[in-house]
Amino acid sequence: MTDAFLVALGGVTEPYTLLLMAVATFAGIVAAAIPGFTITMAIVLTLPLTFAMPPMQGIAVMLSVYVGGLSGGLFSAALLGIPGTPSSVATTFDAFPMARQGNPGKALSLGLFASFVGSIISIAVLIVAAPPLALLAVKLGPWEYFALIIFALTVIASLVGDSLIRGLIAGLIGIGIATIGPDPLMGRERFTFGYEILTAGIPFLVVLIGMYAMSQLLSELEPATGDRQPSSGALISGDMRPHLWQTIKNILLKPVNVIRSSLLGVFIGAVPGAGSSISNLLAYDQAKRASKHPETFGKGEPQGVVASESGNSSTVGGSLIPLIALGIPGSPADAVLMAAIMVHGISIGPRLILDHPDLVYSMFIAMAIASVFMLVIGVILMRAFLRLLNVPKYIVVPVVLACCAIGTYTLNNRLSDLYLLACIGAVGYLLKKLDYPLAPLVLGVVLGPIAETNLRRAFQTSTDWTLFFTRPISALLLTLAVVSVIYSIYSYMKQRRLMAQRLEATSK
Amino acid sequence: MERRNTEAALIPTLQLLSYLIIALGALFMAFKAGSLPASRWEPMNAGTFPQIIFFSIAILCGMAIIFEFSKHGLPRTTFCIAWRSLISLKTVIINLVLFTVYMVAMPIAGFIISTFAYLLTTQLYLAPRKPTTVAIAIFVAILFSAGPYYLFSEAFNIYLPRAQW
Repeated sequence: MTDAFLVALGGVTEPYTLLLMAVATFAGIVAAAIPGFTITMAIVLTLPLTFAMPPMQGIAVMLSVYVGGLSGGLFSAALLGIPGTPSSVATTFDAFPMARQGNPGKALSLGLFASFVGSIISIAVLIVAAPPLALLAVKLGPWEYFALIIFALTVIASLVGDSLIRGLIAGLIGIGIATIGPDPLMGRERFTFGYEILTAGIPFLVVLIGMYAMSQLLSELEPATGDRQPSSGALISGDMRPHLWQTIKNILLKPVNVIRSSLLGVFIGAVPGAGSSISNLLAYDQAKRASKHPETFGKGEPQGVVASESGNSSTVGGSLIPLIALGIPGSPADAVLMAAIMVHGISIGPRLILDHPDLVYSMFIAMAIASVFMLVIGVILMRAFLRLLNVPKYIVVPVVLACCAIGTYTLNNRLSDLYLLACIGAVGYLLKKLDYPLAPLVLGVVLGPIAETNLRRAFQTSTDWTLFFTRPISALLLTLAVVSVIYSIYSYMKQRRLMAQRLEATSK
Repeated sequence: MERRNTEAALIPTLQLLSYLIIALGALFMAFKAGSLPASRWEPMNAGTFPQIIFFSIAILCGMAIIFEFSKHGLPRTTFCIAWRSLISLKTVIINLVLFTVYMVAMPIAGFIISTFAYLLTTQLYLAPRKPTTVAIAIFVAILFSAGPYYLFSEAFNIYLPRAQW
């Protein structure tokens, strides 16, 4: 164990790797700070650059983009009043008023330091939770694994989007897409209809890039509607000094808020489908409820910025728990990280930590170092980010779309993937317009082959299907899946009842 | 049962249509999966799992159609409203077409030329017509067409598509 840790430490702290990580953290911050450019997009676009790197270096670079990206949204939230990514929506509530009151430097440094503390807490939880969970997961049979994936997909479908049924349809379409090409056990060709383009199947990263990046970028070109948050128009001016020492003192002297928000972020990050876009709002809400002065929230309250930023940054550690321990990515960004590891021939699953402990330790170390980089780069380049935020959409959208094409082509050096990308992107945009959540679809493509392999293995071992319900862990997971569906239906009905009551009250 | 105006009914109508199309597609795929040969080595053959999945999709779509009808009744919209919505998405559609042309052109014209042409055309279409923006568009198009090509070939030994002539 110590040897593996030292190997990992040596690998990550090589000067060249550190330099690449610093650049990646900077790129992550910049990408997330540009409204319309999501963290997942940034990670997807980094992937082809890591192909030529050793696995440890590649994954360290990807994690740096991830960590940087989670705090990058803060800049546009505080300085423009537009959340750069969905994970910084709650940051806008207090950071923007604070910046408009003439304290942009303080708002940014509060957010950056809270992000740093959140990341460090999440890494600590990850180190403690992932190895024992992986040891437990090694003992799981195909019945439990299949049940786990069913549970994960139902949770994702019920948490993302407005409609459970569309979430479930999207998840199943994703699994359906994954069945195209050779079957995972015997390699028999399925649903190719004689087209050579489909014989190798549809790579999940092409689906991810098409569905996520393309549909998001195309949505950016839609005419602005009234419900979109308006930009402030002008850049914020005022005291841009970070006042870092005072900020550190402020946060550390009132540690309850940052710890509560971070732990909430870790927990939400560990739940498949629920990510930083939910955690920042929940952490903010909890901070407001716990505050003695809830009326100050939304008017530049520092604790609001702290709660939102520590809540979103801490999801990174949480989301890596199921990935490292079970081999199940909880979000599209984790799915790309998974791909980055698999590209190097390393299989993801509970044995990852047993077979490649050095790689797992390097992930822990890389995240910690990236958090430090994020804080340092954020504080030093605060003024420069102010200028970078104004990159116009007419440059961002085509350039990122071209980068998507590069990322897609370099995955397998296959031109046919480019045609698939255009088709999947168009379908993804259409599904998005029709309010189908895309996260379950993308994760369905990743989880589908794992579910099929385990289901078929279970039946190869025994044809008794009741084992899914009589083995305790499998039964528990399937029960939880049913509960998550029932709960989602209950919440939906409750929400409808409340809305009807409100409508009735306003019409009286 | 609530009735919606024609404007608000557009998305529910399209959703209903999507459920129907997806359900039909799923049923077709499920029957296709059923025609895959059985395996001598395992009780489930290569088609069983996809069959379960595609039948589940068809059932869920059927349920969604029933729920939508029972909740809101038949949504009523007009072709005119649909056309107006489509026209409002003109920029998106043109960009999608430009991107598709770019994807098709890349194997023939090569990465550098196709990317340069795509970036320049798209930026000129989206950007306000000013001499500065044209200059910026040309600079960005050169930077992001030649830049990645040489970065990938020189630094990573990955060769992006070359022109076929």
